[in-house]
Amino acid sequence: MFLRMIRGTLFRQWKKMLMIAFTIALGASLASAMLSVMLDVGDKVNQELKTYGANITVVPKENSVLSELYEVEDGSVQGAYLNEEELGKIKTIFWAFNIVDFAPFVNVTASLDDGTEVQCVGSWFDHHMDLPTGETLDTGIASMRSWWELKEGSWLDEQLLADTADAAMIGKDLAEKLGLSAGDKIHLTGSASDRELRIAGVYDAGGTEDMQIFLQLDTAQALADLDGCVDKIEVSALTTPENELSERAAKDPSSLTVAQMETWTCTAYASSICYEIQQVITGSVAAPVRQVADSEGAILGKTQLLMILITILSLIGAALGICNLVTASVMERSQEIGLMKAIGAQNLSVALLVLCEIFLTAIVGGIAGFFAGFGFAQLIGHTVFGAAVELKPMVVPIVAVLVVLVTLIGSIPAIRMLLGLRPTEVLHGR
Amino acid sequence: MKKRKMFIRMITASLMRRRSRMIVALLSIAIGATILSGLVSIYYDVPRQMGAEFRNYGANVILTAGEGDFTLAAARQGQAKIPEDKLVGAAPYRYENVRINDIPVVAAGTDPEGAEKTSPYWRVEGEWFSGSGELLVGASVAEAFRLKEGDVIEVSYTPMAEDETTSDGEEEFIPDTYKTFTVMGVLQTGGSEENYIYMTLDDLTELTGAEGTLDVAELSVSASAGELDDLIAGINAGVKGVHASPVKRVTASEATVLNKLQALVLLVTIVVLALTMICVATTMTAVVAERRKEIGLRKAIGASDKSIIQEFMGESMLLGLLGGLLGSVLGFVFARQVSISVFSSSISYRPMLLPVTVLASIAVTGISSLMPIRSATDVDPALVLKGE
Repeated sequence: MFLRMIRGTLFRQWKKMLMIAFTIALGASLASAMLSVMLDVGDKVNQELKTYGANITVVPKENSVLSELYEVEDGSVQGAYLNEEELGKIKTIFWAFNIVDFAPFVNVTASLDDGTEVQCVGSWFDHHMDLPTGETLDTGIASMRSWWELKEGSWLDEQLLADTADAAMIGKDLAEKLGLSAGDKIHLTGSASDRELRIAGVYDAGGTEDMQIFLQLDTAQALADLDGCVDKIEVSALTTPENELSERAAKDPSSLTVAQMETWTCTAYASSICYEIQQVITGSVAAPVRQVADSEGAILGKTQLLMILITILSLIGAALGICNLVTASVMERSQEIGLMKAIGAQNLSVALLVLCEIFLTAIVGGIAGFFAGFGFAQLIGHTVFGAAVELKPMVVPIVAVLVVLVTLIGSIPAIRMLLGLRPTEVLHGR
Repeated sequence: MKKRKMFIRMITASLMRRRSRMIVALLSIAIGATILSGLVSIYYDVPRQMGAEFRNYGANVILTAGEGDFTLAAARQGQAKIPEDKLVGAAPYRYENVRINDIPVVAAGTDPEGAEKTSPYWRVEGEWFSGSGELLVGASVAEAFRLKEGDVIEVSYTPMAEDETTSDGEEEFIPDTYKTFTVMGVLQTGGSEENYIYMTLDDLTELTGAEGTLDVAELSVSASAGELDDLIAGINAGVKGVHASPVKRVTASEATVLNKLQALVLLVTIVVLALTMICVATTMTAVVAERRKEIGLRKAIGASDKSIIQEFMGESMLLGLLGGLLGSVLGFVFARQVSISVFSSSISYRPMLLPVTVLASIAVTGISSLMPIRSATDVDPALVLKGE
């Protein structure tokens, strides 16, 4: 009989029930869309912040201090180098998935035919790597110098045959000084060999790089007989903003307790990624670039907090909206319920009946709303970041609990009113 | 005149008598209006507030030598071209080779206060340097010389042999100058700054014995990409002896990320608004639909469809007006609260938002109650009253 009555309400009053389901669906979709976006916004903004370039630099241990200091005097101190062979290992560390890009750099000085000395930098442009793990990776300065503005020509493309070894890119200030433009040839003489290079493109980097020539890594190495040597590696990694623990760990990992050590190594702090990199690259010192790492942390934190507050506002909005409608629709049925009470229904059974009806509707509405909300989240993700918003499993229970709670709270005033109804008055139409 | 009085009385009486139901409806409209005005305020304020956050990346404009000598006065002149409220910080830099224990080190002379503002990401172990005789030492230098906070060291400077003295053929001996400094702190940046030592410009002048020229001046300007270009062009055109250029790495990246963030807030605002408005509409529909009986009764005693529609619309629009007013106040409070807790700065009040919010909530309530009223007036009063 109970089931029949519920079924009766759902089918006969389907218009009203549809309206409740619709409102609940709207609220649920709002909640699930905002929660999905909020939980994923950190990762997405982190990706965007990668346009600022590397947040970790790796340099040889011995070199770092003294050669730079002494360089002031004679300019040609042979420092230590990192081994090019080991570069692939960066992608094999525990945090391999957090490493977005990395590129090696080697600085050499070469002279032109007229004796002018120029700073040459050997690097990867869009280097293709086969990793020991069997994966492949394309990385290099094409993605790590996204702020370079191409003035002439095109980016040097390592995959193209024509560009392979004998091409270079030149900074706009140097190009201007030497009167060079894209397509010209230059003849560079290094300490070990000489090369004739074609200028593939002229870039505007808005900094000291404007006075440099960028070559491919092996070309630059050949010029100065530095086969397999790398001066510096820049790594762009997705990191978690630093906190007190990570700062302490960065100074001295051995000062941590076992539990703290575990937390530290299992969180993607810039310092713990640096630590891992130092383990795989022999004789290296990896340090976070404060300018990028700190600012990333600040901006990520603010964006997430902003989204959390917007989410809370919309959750409150959705909750009150649902509450309102549930109250309104239950009160509307006072006559029907008065009649039930008049022919002898107990308060408990009336309340149970109304609750059951509303919950059935809420479940249908909530499920529909959840999927609709996830769709909205995808819409936002694709429009803003050009990537899908990941579905975090914790969104499902949060939305479910929210819908149940809100529906329950929304029905309380209505049910209290129903219980207080006096059947004679209601039926009389007062 | 009398008719209008009656109309107003009917509307207000109906609102007053059905107080609890109307409060529910009013609340829902107010929530909608709060979300509208709150999110729109945040949307407009995000670029400004986030722009300030992006100044964490440090200087976005650098001044270098133009024609003639690049002096501190020229740098200050260039800096003066930027409105005070947009300038976050400015720091002139002069680099000289000095020696610590006879080992050469690059010393940078700067304005400590300005440097602290243009480079907020510098991490200093110890104290920031501020006055004469105080030194900030890069981490690499500190490691090489085993320096730590509180150490007292002597920095020496070997004056360059001037061309005139050497051309004479006689070797004029110029003694090194010395100055004692206290190491206030050790600087960590992860960049080349770790290889330098920092002191005030005055100290560097005292040490080198000459005023000298600046090498570069860093400016941190809080402005959108377009404004920044205009300001830079203004400096280049207006100040001789200074060449301003944007730091591409910072400006280009900032534009990209900021645009994404604003697009994100815009889309979120649109989605939330659309859903909230539909919520308000369904509530209004429900509120009107339950009064079918009343409509039937009015029709039965001779009211025209037009007058019923007028009265109900008047009622719901009054609700919309009240809800809109309430919501725009609450929305502003909310937006300010968000701004204070996220960016720790207040939000500017936008007077335009009040009429927009009120009009929007009147429109939404009006449209959403029009449909159920229409369908209610179509019904035969006898049927409605009978309860079918």
